[in-house]
Amino acid sequence: MKKKGRGLATIMFGFGYGEGFPDHSIASIEIKADQRIVIKTAAADVGQGVITTVIQIAAEILRIKPDYFEVIQGDTHTTKNSGSTSATRQTYFTGNAVKKAAEDLLANLYHYGSMEFRSNHPEISIKDGEIYLYEEPEYSISYWDLAAKLKDKGITLEAEGSFFPVTYQPDEKGQADKVYVAYTFLSQVIEVEVDTDTGIIDLLNVYTAVDLGKAINPKNVEGQIEGGTVQGLGMAVMEEQVIRNGRTLNAGMSDYLVPTSVDIPKFKHYLIEDQDSEGPFGAKGVGEPTIIAAAPALANAVYDAIGIRFYDLPLNPSKVKKALEEQDNKN
Amino acid sequence: MQIKFKVNGEAREIEVTPFHRLLDLLREDLGLTGVKEGCGKGECGACSVIMNGRLIPSCLVPAPQADGAEIITIEGLAEGNSLHPLQEAFIETGAVQCGFCIPGMIMAGKNLLDENPSPNEKEVRTALSGNICRCTGYTKIIEAVMLAADKMDSKGSGSDE
Repeated sequence: MKKKGRGLATIMFGFGYGEGFPDHSIASIEIKADQRIVIKTAAADVGQGVITTVIQIAAEILRIKPDYFEVIQGDTHTTKNSGSTSATRQTYFTGNAVKKAAEDLLANLYHYGSMEFRSNHPEISIKDGEIYLYEEPEYSISYWDLAAKLKDKGITLEAEGSFFPVTYQPDEKGQADKVYVAYTFLSQVIEVEVDTDTGIIDLLNVYTAVDLGKAINPKNVEGQIEGGTVQGLGMAVMEEQVIRNGRTLNAGMSDYLVPTSVDIPKFKHYLIEDQDSEGPFGAKGVGEPTIIAAAPALANAVYDAIGIRFYDLPLNPSKVKKALEEQDNKN
Repeated sequence: MQIKFKVNGEAREIEVTPFHRLLDLLREDLGLTGVKEGCGKGECGACSVIMNGRLIPSCLVPAPQADGAEIITIEGLAEGNSLHPLQEAFIETGAVQCGFCIPGMIMAGKNLLDENPSPNEKEVRTALSGNICRCTGYTKIIEAVMLAADKMDSKGSGSDE
């Protein structure tokens, strides 16, 4: 017989290194005469999309299309420290460092622009890569021409930004003013169907609501939710490392099962943009929080379906079948 | 031994040993590094290429078997600067994260669409089930293949309806 169930789990996740660790990121941006804007950051993009995110942030602040940007990333010879791609921190930390660098650069565009037009800040405007006189827009200069003129004077049109928020180590009771820079909240409802004859759990639907401050790139956020949740569900229903006498017996893709395209559920996402004041445009980290709720929500859904509580993972078919038989024997 | 075969439409002739894998031949000898080595045991699908119209894991094929074969790798999909509809669809849906599984995924998608130009979601899922991805959770990859099928369908019929 097939029995359906629905389960909920909610988590909070403090991101960044936190606990007083000197967590920071430094980035720089240069506008070049050859129509390129180069961002330098050591932040490593491992597929989560930090490069896309920082280009979006810089393009927004510098009022120009993202097409002109190029990013020199993850090269310690040419970039300063951005910290690791871990702890769900790069959007928040490097996003802020790039935002600050871009703001500094924007201010300098106004500064050198006003020198160019022998005018005051309020009398000039900046839009689409052009600096122009507000009242007489025909008087304009592109970022590239300005960069070329400044280069002749030995000035580089560049800026550096850094973000270094303070956190505190918790006391022996686990208390402190600020243990982490901010927290991401996530709730997940998971629907399953349990086959009581085989013990197989079918993953039907996952509904995810995440308070992420601001989704700078919604598609990337969805990708994080789907990828993280599927890893969490893999842990919940199939991934089991078998260790005997200190040796892993199933160190291969055919006996350590991970989810494939036929195993995954359908997704629906709700991105709650309740802005965090310190994040870039209010954004918070969203990577790791996406993996945490899946297993408890699934275990709750299984309980809803068959009335059995499990306290260890994974809920693979043999474990579920055995528990169902024990339940039968009791009744 | 000397073997002759076609890769991405180009005739090649090369000296191989029986201990060469097709994967090494493509990556090391021909520089087609879009073909990825994941597990090296035919379980993950990262090294998938199309040989004589069949999707195969190139890590399990001895290079001499390529003699006389016609092989398509990810490098053979784009025409000049114009991407294959599958590649466009992967970009548009945001189906790529770290990217390591993607060449294999796209070849699996191509193999499906070559045989079945308008698959339903279940058929797409089944066709991709031999390719493992740890980043994306597959959702957007499945979407991408469905989208590519639509794109290729409307191109083939020559109408915008």
